[in-house]
Amino acid sequence: MTKPPTSDVDLFADDVLLDPFQAYAELREQGPVVHLRKNDVYALTRYDVIRGALADWESFSSASIAFNPTANEALTGTSLASDPPAHTQLRAALTENLSPRALRGLKGRIETKADTLVAELVERGSFEAVDALARAFPLEVVADLIGFTGHVRDNMLRWGQAAMQVLGPMNQRTAENFPVAGELYAWCSAVRADDLAEGSVGRGIFEAEARGAIPPDTAGHIIHQYLGAGVDSTIAAIGNIVALFARHPDQLALVRADPSLVPAAFNEVLRFWPPINAWGRLATRDVDIDGTVVPAGAQVAVLLGSGNRDPRHYDDPDAFLVTRNPVDHLAFGYGPHGCAGQGLARLEAHAVIEALSRRVGRLVAGPEVRVPSNTTRSIEELPVLEVIPA
Amino acid sequence: MRIVLDRPRCEGHGLCEEAAPQLMHLDDEGELVLDREEVDGADAALANAAARVCPVAALRVA
Repeated sequence: MTKPPTSDVDLFADDVLLDPFQAYAELREQGPVVHLRKNDVYALTRYDVIRGALADWESFSSASIAFNPTANEALTGTSLASDPPAHTQLRAALTENLSPRALRGLKGRIETKADTLVAELVERGSFEAVDALARAFPLEVVADLIGFTGHVRDNMLRWGQAAMQVLGPMNQRTAENFPVAGELYAWCSAVRADDLAEGSVGRGIFEAEARGAIPPDTAGHIIHQYLGAGVDSTIAAIGNIVALFARHPDQLALVRADPSLVPAAFNEVLRFWPPINAWGRLATRDVDIDGTVVPAGAQVAVLLGSGNRDPRHYDDPDAFLVTRNPVDHLAFGYGPHGCAGQGLARLEAHAVIEALSRRVGRLVAGPEVRVPSNTTRSIEELPVLEVIPA
Repeated sequence: MRIVLDRPRCEGHGLCEEAAPQLMHLDDEGELVLDREEVDGADAALANAAARVCPVAALRVA
């Protein structure tokens, strides 16, 4: 086995975070695994290798999903950072109230919320889509779901953003966000059933703890993961839906003509612009990847966003095509750690796409404003200047 | 060939049912039911497609 090629690409440089796809294309051409000197990580760049690594928890441990040791230490004992067998029970506790099975009853309510919000915005004619839709909708859905009230509701956005930022390397963004992520952690460590609205899923998690269905003292951790993982990523996905439909009116027209394309359109949004592009793993042993070695103990960066653009797997990967239906995209990860909230994300995004495609003929948008962020790639501001109603 | 379900891992995402409705479905409780476990020919291809789209790798064809 030989050493992998090396590169000076910095995954966490501002320009790469803002638009990583050119850098990914170069890395994919160098090889399926490339050592990034500036980050001291081994990047997995091609679709097959990424999917294989996500399935192979024995070689690629989740003990370092973050790119700094402080965040990894703080996550110890959560399902996110555990490997089987410990992971199996933690994951079951996390998904008990979050799996599509548990969420089936919510579909109608979520669809109504999305439709009401989109109808208002179409009526208004021009709006800032990130605040008015991409943030407003998932914040309301998640707050109602978990039963957040009062000051927690007001803090959800900054807490959720900080929880993602601190997964980066120890750069300025990470350092600035640790205190904010700490506020979230402290609140989740102290939260009690009474703090959450009656009848909410959050209350249900405490009830599950009380009857022994999940281990003692895990309810707060689970709520932490709902908030930490479920807010910023969904906001990014919904902002991306609006921006991509504005950029590609022909693709919106296809969904308008055939509403059965809604799930396919969401799969393509996630493939094309994943909310999370790079995620960490730890090599537990020397791993042979196509004849090159990832050494035991190495920090690995799984480039989900690169696998999603790999021409070895997807034809014409840089085109946004809602009829493609890439059901096997990597944006949710894959395997035992596949996104636990993807059922909820689908409910929310499908509701938004349905409402938009029913009520909007065309969107005229100004330029997207982006701010570099360590983990979540999302649009900060997206002015919709005009809505041509359906 | 045989479809093998890792039941504890299944979370009911239902993508397998969309890929192979002839072979499996979610029941009223959202639990996956394999209507056929032994498959061959065109059905084996469908079963492989269903296993491929399972987001949590709970299905395999052996």
